[in-house]
Amino acid sequence: MSSSAHTAVATPGVPRLAQHFASLEVQNHAARLGMWLFLSTEILLFAGLFVCYGCYRYLFPEAFAAASRHLDLTMGTVNTVVLITSSLTAALAVHYAKEGKSNLVALMFGLTIAMACAFLVIKGFEYSHKFEEGALPGPYYRMQAVQLPGVPLYFTIYFLATGLHAFHVIIGMSVLVWLMIKAIRERNFGPNNYTAVELGSMYWHLVDLVWIFLFPLLYLI
Amino acid sequence: MNPSSSTTAEGVLPAHDAHDAHHDHPSYLVDGTTIKSWLLTVDHKRIALMYLVWILLFFLVGGIFAMAIRIEMLTPGPTIMDAMTYNRTFTLHGMIMIFLFMIPAIPAVFGNFVLPLMLGAKDVAFPRLNLASLYIYLAGAFLALWGMLNGGLDTGWTFYTPYSTHTTTTVAPVLFGAFIIGFSSIATGLNFIVTIHTMRAPGITWFKIPLFGWALYATSCIQVLATPVIGLLLVIVSGEQLFHFGLFDPARGGDPVLFQHLFWFYSHPAVYIMVLPAFGVMSEIVATYSRKNIFGYRAVAYSSLGIAFVGFFVWGHHMFVSGQSTFDAGIFGVLTMLVGIFTAIKVFNWVGTVYKGAVEFRTPFAYFCGFLFFTVFGGMTGIAVATTSLDVHWHDTYFVVAHFHFIMVGATIMAFLAALHYWFPKMFGKTYHEGWGLVSAALIILGFNATFIPQFLLGNYGMPRRYFEYPERFQALNVASTAGSSLLAFGFIIIAIYLTYSLAYGRASGQNPWRSKGYEWLMASPPPTHNFVGPQPTYPEEPHFYVDPKKAEVPDVV
Amino acid sequence: MSVANESHQEAQNMEHHGSGRYWLVWAALLVLTLVTVITGRMHIPNFALAVALLIATVKGTLVLLFFMHLIDHKGANRLVMAVSVLFVLMMLAMPMADFATRFRPANPAGSHLSDLPDLNFLEGKTGAHGSTGGAHGAGGHEAPSGGHEAPSPSGH
Repeated sequence: MSSSAHTAVATPGVPRLAQHFASLEVQNHAARLGMWLFLSTEILLFAGLFVCYGCYRYLFPEAFAAASRHLDLTMGTVNTVVLITSSLTAALAVHYAKEGKSNLVALMFGLTIAMACAFLVIKGFEYSHKFEEGALPGPYYRMQAVQLPGVPLYFTIYFLATGLHAFHVIIGMSVLVWLMIKAIRERNFGPNNYTAVELGSMYWHLVDLVWIFLFPLLYLI
Repeated sequence: MNPSSSTTAEGVLPAHDAHDAHHDHPSYLVDGTTIKSWLLTVDHKRIALMYLVWILLFFLVGGIFAMAIRIEMLTPGPTIMDAMTYNRTFTLHGMIMIFLFMIPAIPAVFGNFVLPLMLGAKDVAFPRLNLASLYIYLAGAFLALWGMLNGGLDTGWTFYTPYSTHTTTTVAPVLFGAFIIGFSSIATGLNFIVTIHTMRAPGITWFKIPLFGWALYATSCIQVLATPVIGLLLVIVSGEQLFHFGLFDPARGGDPVLFQHLFWFYSHPAVYIMVLPAFGVMSEIVATYSRKNIFGYRAVAYSSLGIAFVGFFVWGHHMFVSGQSTFDAGIFGVLTMLVGIFTAIKVFNWVGTVYKGAVEFRTPFAYFCGFLFFTVFGGMTGIAVATTSLDVHWHDTYFVVAHFHFIMVGATIMAFLAALHYWFPKMFGKTYHEGWGLVSAALIILGFNATFIPQFLLGNYGMPRRYFEYPERFQALNVASTAGSSLLAFGFIIIAIYLTYSLAYGRASGQNPWRSKGYEWLMASPPPTHNFVGPQPTYPEEPHFYVDPKKAEVPDVV
Repeated sequence: MSVANESHQEAQNMEHHGSGRYWLVWAALLVLTLVTVITGRMHIPNFALAVALLIATVKGTLVLLFFMHLIDHKGANRLVMAVSVLFVLMMLAMPMADFATRFRPANPAGSHLSDLPDLNFLEGKTGAHGSTGGAHGAGGHEAPSGGHEAPSPSGH
C-alpha cells in the first residue's frame, strides 16, 4: 500500500487530518506558518522592484515627479479604495468562516472577486491611456509632455511593478474563486475548519499590502 | 522492534526483528513496486532518491563540461573548441553545477531523506509540495538545458548586464529555467522550516535538534528569503534581452551596477545555501566517527544562524572592482570578515570534537579530513579576497576560481560524498567496500589539490578567468591543473562503480553499522514507509550523546 | 497527543472576536488613504516621501496586524515578517548608498548624482530625438539617431 498524505473521508465541519501530522492543531499551525513563509517570498519578490524604484527615483527626482503627475490620480485613488474594501470583505469572509456561515463566506469572497475585477478594469483603462499618450517603457517612450532624463525608466518601473502586481491580483482571484466554490458546494466551514479560507484571505491581503506601498510611491511623488 | 532501544553489538538486527520488519512493515524501497508508486509518491525518502538520481546525472553533465574546460586549457591557444564554444562551456558548467547540482544537492537529497527521521516525524510538513518541488526542479532543469544546447548562453553563469541583454545567444530559456528551479528551492526551504517548527517528536526541543537540522533550518531561511530576488531578476533580464526597456542600460539612464547589487543579493547567500548543509553533515559525521559529543553544540547551532543572517549583508564583496563606491566596499568588506568568524567557530568545534575522541577512520571521516583542510584554506582565501585592496588584484582571476572551488568542491562535494557514504546504509540497508571507499577518498582529495592549488598560483600570477587564450608562461600550471582534474574525475568514477555495485550486491548493513547515536539511526535501515511503527519514538538523550571512552565521566552535554 | 512545539500555544491564541474591528480598520485605512492623497498633492518640500512612507507603513501594519491576524499569530510568524522587512531595507540601503558615494562620473548620465548630460534629453530640445523610440523598436539601445552633439568632456 503506497503511502498517502491523507486519511479517510473527512467529517463535515472538520478538515481531513493528514496522517503525518500529530494533530489538527499541528496541521493548522503548519499551514499558517507555511503561508507566512510564502508571503515573505512575495515580499522579497517585489522588493527587487522597490529597490530599482528607490535608486532611480533618488537619481532622477524631477523626472519621477513629473511622470507621476501624469498618472491619473483619481483612478489610482479609486483603485486603492477598491482594494482596501476588498481586503475588508476578505477578512470578513474569514470571520464568517469561523462562525460557520458558509453562505456569507461565499458572498464575501464574491464581493472581493468583483472588486478585484473592478481593480483590473480600472488598471486596464489606465494602461490603454498610457499607450495612447506614449508613456511607455524605455525605447518606446514618446510622450512629448515630459521630456526629462530618467522618465522612460519611471515608466519601465511603473509597468513592471503594476504588471507584476496585476499578475498577483489574478492569482489571488483564482484562489478566491476556488474558495468561493468550496464554500458554496461543501458548506462546511466552521470553527474547526477555516484554515483554507484564512490562508486564501492572507494571500489577498498581501496583494493589498503591496498596492498600499505602490500607490503613494507611483502616484504621489 | 523498539526504535528507542540502542542497537546490539555491530548494529546487526536480531534475526526475528528483521523477519518481522520484512513482512509487516516493508522498507520504503519495496513498499509499492509500480512506476506510478514512485513517480507519484509522497514519501520523502522516495522523493529524496529520485532527487539523488537526477542530481548525480546533472553533476555528471556539469563534470563533463568541466573536463572540457580543462582540456581546452591545456594549450595557450585553441585546443578542442573555438572561443564562443568555450564561453558557452564555462557558462553551462557554472549554470548546471550551481543551479542544478549544488543548490539542491544536500538539502533535497539528504535533507529530505534524513530530516524527518532525525525529528521523529513521519514525513515533512507538506509531502505533496515536496513531490511538486521535484517536478518543478526537473521542468526548470530541462528548459535550461534545452536552451543551453540550442544556442547556448555565453555570458557566464552570472549573466551580467549589459552583455546579457545584448548577446544574441539564447538567454530567455536558460534564465527562465533557472527561475523555475528557484521555485523548487523555495518549496524545499519552506517545507523544512515548517517541518522543524511543527513536526518534532515530543522531547525534541529546539536544542535537541541534531545539528544537521539546524544547518538545514538556516539554509531554508536563506532559500526562502533570497531566491525570490534572483527570480525577479532572471525574469527582468530575460525581458530586457527581448524588449530592451533599458532598466540597467546606461544609454537609458540605467545602471549596470544596480543589476550586480540585485544579482549578488541572492547569489552570495546562495553560496551559503550550498555550504551550510555541508557543515551540518560534517557535524553529524565528526561526532559519529569520533564517538564523542559534538564540542559546543549551541555554538555550532547559533553559528549556522549567524552565517545565514550575516551572509545577507555581505554581497558587495563580489563588486569591489565594479564601480561600486568605496564607502559600500568598506562596509561589505568588514561584514564579510565578520561572517568568516562563524565558520571559524565551527572549525574549532569540529576539531574540539575530534580531540580526545576515539576516532574510527572510515570513509566518511576521511572525507571529513579533506573537508576540514579545504574549508580552512578555502575560507582563509575567502577572507583574503574580502580584503578590498587585495581583491583588486585577484578579482576575475583564477585565484577567485580556486577559492570558490575549494569551498564548493572541497567542502560541499566532500560533504556530499561523505553524506552519501554515511547514510548509504540508512538509505539502502547495504554496506560498501571500505577499502575502495578510502582509496577513492584519497584520490579525490589528492586530485582536488592537484587541480586547484595550481589555480591559486595562476590567479596570483595574473591569469584572468573565463579567458579562452592565455600567455605561454601560464601553460605549465594549467597542464598541472588538468592532470589533477583527471585524477579527480577518476576518483568519482571509482565511487560510482563500487556504490552501484554495493546497491546490487552489498552486504546487509543492519540498522546502525556505525553505532552512531544520531537520532536517525534509531529507526530501521532502510526505514519502513512511515519511518517508524507505532507511536513516535522518544528521545531521552541529546543527539550524539556518547560517553567518553577514555574517562568514564559524563562529557559536555551542550 | 502532546507535541514539543508551538502548535498548541498558537491554537490557544486564536480567539474569535466580533467583526467590528475589521470595519474599524477599514475606516482607518480609508481615512489614511485620504490623508496620503491630500498630503501627496501638497508636495511638501523635503518631507513628502517620508510622510508618504510613514502613512503607508501605518496602513500596512494595520493590514498585517488585523486583517492578516498577525496580532494573534505570535512567535515565528511575526519573526518571518520582521526579518523579511529588515532584509528589504538592507537591500534598499546599500545600493542607494552606493549611488550617493561613488565616483560621480560612474553614475547614470543626466541624473542628480552625475555631472554628465543625458544625450537623450538635452535641454532646450523638445522631443526631436531619442524619445521617438518607437521607430527603433526592440533594437533601439544605441545612442539616439538625432542630436549628435559632442558631449562636453567632463574634466578630471
